[in-house]
Amino acid sequence: MSARDQILNQLRSNERPAEHPEPWRSRRNFPDLAERFTQTLTAGKGEVIRAANFEAALNEIDTILHELQAKRVVVNDTAPLDGLDVGKQWPDFEWFVAGKSEGDIKSFCAGADVGLSGADAALAETGSVVVSSGPGKSRLATLLPPVHLAIVPTSILTSDILTWTAARQGQPGANRVLVSGPSKTADIEQVLAIGVHGPKRFIVVLYDD
Amino acid sequence: MTATMHEFRHSAFVAIEDIQLQSALEGATHKFGSGRTDALAEVPEVEAMRDHFKKVRSATLSQLAHHLETFEKNATAAGAQVHWAATGDDACRIVLDIAQRHGVKLVTKSKSMATEEIHLNQVLSKAGIEPVETDLGEWIIQLAGDPPSHIIAPAIHKTRHQIAEMFTKETGQQVSADDIPGLTELARQVLRQKFLAAGMGISGGNIMVAETGSLVLVMNEGNGRLVTSTPPVHVAVVGLEKLAPTWDDAAVWLSLLARSSTGQALTIYTNIITGPARPTDPDGPQEVHIVILDNGRSKLIGTKYEEVLQCIRCGACLNACPVYREAGGHAYGNPYSGPIGAVIAPLLFGLDKYSGLPHASSLCGACKDVCPARIDLPRMLLELRADEVEQRVLPWWESMSERAAAFGLASPGLFKYGTALIRQMQRPLAKGDKLNLPAKLNPGQSRQTPALAKRSFHDIWQSGELDNKNGGE
Ligand code: SF4
Repeated sequence: MSARDQILNQLRSNERPAEHPEPWRSRRNFPDLAERFTQTLTAGKGEVIRAANFEAALNEIDTILHELQAKRVVVNDTAPLDGLDVGKQWPDFEWFVAGKSEGDIKSFCAGADVGLSGADAALAETGSVVVSSGPGKSRLATLLPPVHLAIVPTSILTSDILTWTAARQGQPGANRVLVSGPSKTADIEQVLAIGVHGPKRFIVVLYDD
Repeated sequence: MTATMHEFRHSAFVAIEDIQLQSALEGATHKFGSGRTDALAEVPEVEAMRDHFKKVRSATLSQLAHHLETFEKNATAAGAQVHWAATGDDACRIVLDIAQRHGVKLVTKSKSMATEEIHLNQVLSKAGIEPVETDLGEWIIQLAGDPPSHIIAPAIHKTRHQIAEMFTKETGQQVSADDIPGLTELARQVLRQKFLAAGMGISGGNIMVAETGSLVLVMNEGNGRLVTSTPPVHVAVVGLEKLAPTWDDAAVWLSLLARSSTGQALTIYTNIITGPARPTDPDGPQEVHIVILDNGRSKLIGTKYEEVLQCIRCGACLNACPVYREAGGHAYGNPYSGPIGAVIAPLLFGLDKYSGLPHASSLCGACKDVCPARIDLPRMLLELRADEVEQRVLPWWESMSERAAAFGLASPGLFKYGTALIRQMQRPLAKGDKLNLPAKLNPGQSRQTPALAKRSFHDIWQSGELDNKNGGE
């Protein structure tokens, strides 16, 4: 008998009828999702910059990239940046567009200063941004560079992980990550240190749309 | 390693004498414990949410075969390869096979209790494959050759000075022990090279979500993203009980996990993996393997110990436990420490080998109070003690003396003559009102067992002396 059958048979021999409880629904009711998102993410050592509209958000990104003295930037080719020619918009930087640019994305990301991404959703309660893989959406872009910069419209804010999962549709892609701050650790004498393996800074430009 | 009664007592006493360890344990468990309280207090109707979670876990385990099959079906449809391992050795063999098929020489690992449990690193090393732990705490204990001392903070027993010394030895670079960001940065640089060079990444898994065949990994450092995204092959080893039928269930699980564990609302990264990279993805692993690990779990279903499989390894019971807080993790002689370790190690690895652990508890109930799944650990500790007597795993003299005591205590006459006899027998050992016991019976010698008093209370009462002393007002 295969290990699979052996294990499943063992489990089945003790199977009992069970009433699976109805889903637990969110009890949250935040008066201002953007406010809560900003508060929580900031408390978790992330950074939030508010912008009045998409144009203003692009200007903020320009300012941040210059402030960071970035040279090489990798960008995910996804909403709300997908219609944009980043090379034209921000000619001061060397760009790698995931899914479009030629060359090895892994080595570009390993040497990039900033990874720029959009987001699928944002959770107000926990200050989290949901980033997925997919066509034009690299995982390493938001992981290897020391800074992860995300541009997020307020319309994709949802209350919390419960409301987010309740609204799910279809099968997810290969990877989906909820990011709630910069990489951190407290493994040495419980002292907080920022930026151990992932990005050292996580900056969200949150704009009204 | 094992933890019989004698071994547990011995290592616990060593830990108690270690002042540095005591302050580290005190600091960490206090920080996690109060973080947990604050984080849960912020959640609306959190007690009802815990009740709900308990029902979800219990209902899931009642139909586990069905849910695992659903998981397998959906994970396979997403392109993952699902393997089943009856024992730890089987799981190691499956992982080794995959590594060898791809000619892998270097493996990066993210923190996983399941792979600690099956001693995967030793198996890989023996086969000439270098496993590198990448969670900072895990890397530290790997360099030190130590087992983890806490489920979520494996290196709390190491000081910054010990860590700096090891890092210098490993990398050849001088670092100051007082520069913790500097130590962290050094680890980042060294391990980043490993991530980029590794042929395979190995992780554990916090949750398997049956509905979509997804695997959820939570972490703060981001190493679990690197392990599962950078190399061409990702292998996850997951205990078969870590299953959530739906995303609604997984969301409640995640709502409680980090809050109970580190006091965070969510960990920095909640990484969800559903199969390997799709053909249109710019990056990601070409193969994802999920090894579903039994290793003694399935036989607990339907028994009085089934409840232990509801555990989500948050570590809250460790932080709340007065015994863990003094004894530390290593005394438990296996990767699982604290109250959960005291229950699960004897069940998975043998009550005879871990006979000391069911006694490593004052039965105060603090673990049950803080457990997100309200697992009744004290009940199971008592059940295990009863099993020990039934299976006669205690040393003969211990069960003999317990039987004799039970017999003697049942009859007033026997009690009287018995104590009179002991009064005579204790003479050579008695020193004042204390007994001078041999070291084997009193490890640590930090407390002395009192001798039987010269006269029993019963005697004094009967003599009427007490009436004269207190009755005169
Ligand atoms: S037994 Fe409960 S408190 Fe202890 S680790 Fe498991 S889930 Fe957490």
